[in-house]
Amino acid sequence: MPRELDPTINEKSFILDALNQKLRIDGRDLDVFRELELSFGDDYGLADVRLGKTRVLARVSAEVVKPFTDRPFEGIFTITTELGPMASPAFEPGRQTEQEVLLSRLIEKAIRRSNALDTESLCIVAGQKCWQIRADVHFLSHDGALVDASCIAVVAALQHFRRPDVSIEGEKVTIHTMTERVPVPLSILHVPICVTFSFYLDGEVCLVDATLQEEQLRQGDMTITLNKFGELCQIAKAGGLAINALILLRCAKIALVKAGEIAAIVQRRLEEDAAVRVRRDNLLESKADNERA
Amino acid sequence: MSRYEILSPEGLRTDGRRWNEMRRFSPKMATTTAADGSSYIEHGNTKVICSVNGPIEPRASSARNSERATITVDVCFAAFSGTDRKKRGKGDKRVLEMQSALSRTFASTLLTILHPRSEVHISLHILSQDGSILATCVNAATLALVDAGVPMTDYVTACTVASYTNPDESDEPLLDMNSAEEMDLPGITLATVGRNDKISLLQLETKVRLERLEGMMAVGIDGCAKIRQLLDRAVRDHGNEMARMGAL
Repeated sequence: MPRELDPTINEKSFILDALNQKLRIDGRDLDVFRELELSFGDDYGLADVRLGKTRVLARVSAEVVKPFTDRPFEGIFTITTELGPMASPAFEPGRQTEQEVLLSRLIEKAIRRSNALDTESLCIVAGQKCWQIRADVHFLSHDGALVDASCIAVVAALQHFRRPDVSIEGEKVTIHTMTERVPVPLSILHVPICVTFSFYLDGEVCLVDATLQEEQLRQGDMTITLNKFGELCQIAKAGGLAINALILLRCAKIALVKAGEIAAIVQRRLEEDAAVRVRRDNLLESKADNERA
Repeated sequence: MSRYEILSPEGLRTDGRRWNEMRRFSPKMATTTAADGSSYIEHGNTKVICSVNGPIEPRASSARNSERATITVDVCFAAFSGTDRKKRGKGDKRVLEMQSALSRTFASTLLTILHPRSEVHISLHILSQDGSILATCVNAATLALVDAGVPMTDYVTACTVASYTNPDESDEPLLDMNSAEEMDLPGITLATVGRNDKISLLQLETKVRLERLEGMMAVGIDGCAKIRQLLDRAVRDHGNEMARMGAL
């Protein structure tokens, strides 16, 4: 099995010595994210997130299916992740590693189980037809913080996505094409953002958004997911270095600030993209509340 | 379904406990002779049996590390353990996540550096589920590791705390969730190492206000300290018993 190369002893001591002096090798402060670049595709529901050299692509798609029998009033929302050799040669295709299971569980808990997407709004005919929303996450390049980047990608893609409009007359369900009727956005209840902390030097130093090298050297980690309203969606600190409770609480406060900042960037980019679309597709004409100046 | 009160106006929970009371916690040590170390914990109606083998020669070559011992964990939910009979397969993601959390928790507490190229295998069987399962697994594994004599820095103890919302919107932490509370309330699972109350495992899976975390953690740390005393007493009782039998 190919393994990620461990940092050399020289690199290790250099990075840890620097961290001891509260310095990171890429010159960032300890609690600063790398520059977040977010772009959207031509189609609805494609988000491309770059966090430094980490790059994650999320694609949201929708199809009409039969709902689960035990939940006839709810649509279906699934998130699939697969770590392939494209992201890093250490990932083998087809085989689920522990890292991959943990990553998909984390994203699942952060986004799906926190009810970020209102699945009840996806119901078309109770017990017979509903929308299945599927988010596929592709990891294109791995330089640390995969959880944070993929969470941003999924929530951005969900907010960007538009599904075809549906009208119901009696038993007859019509799905209108994208050109026939203006497609409708999904009902997003809140925007969860993941922030992963890495702990070094017996918990004295905690970093956000660690690079791959920093991740390899960390003694422990914790992922906190919250939205800008200050609701925690998920915390996962599965073992690793034991940390003082006060430090963990301080991390939670930092995470709240970071979640607000990232959500604001995502929101701004969505608005910019919407403005471009309005100009390109002449969408002003298709709005009912158009002033038709 | 009839609605029952999680916390009555008198401050009693469904099973008659107050907010800071744990269910009956009865740890037993050295329950099977086949393993190097074993334990059985009943925490209310949650029952977990644990056996530890190790340090042994790694069974898989992937578990061989030339610098330290690797810790492998198997968690097995008995088909009859829950309310409906259901077999949880090996590939279940929730089980895999539990295994990984347990092995990483103990990897930082055991002195794995003393046993390079070996494996410590922890196998946990959940015989009955009534909430706080991960926490009970941590406690059972700690006790079994002590029994096996694997060198470790201190006890790792875990408990759960729920956050209950009073009718007047104020919140109240409830120590040690049973499965009814786990279903209805947001809660954390928390494990601390030793006496200095450092947190090695912290899990939250449901939405809760950030301000409530501090209160929940404070109650949880106290709960872990209490469990630590109970485990310590079980270990000492077991030692005394062995000395009395002439085993030492």
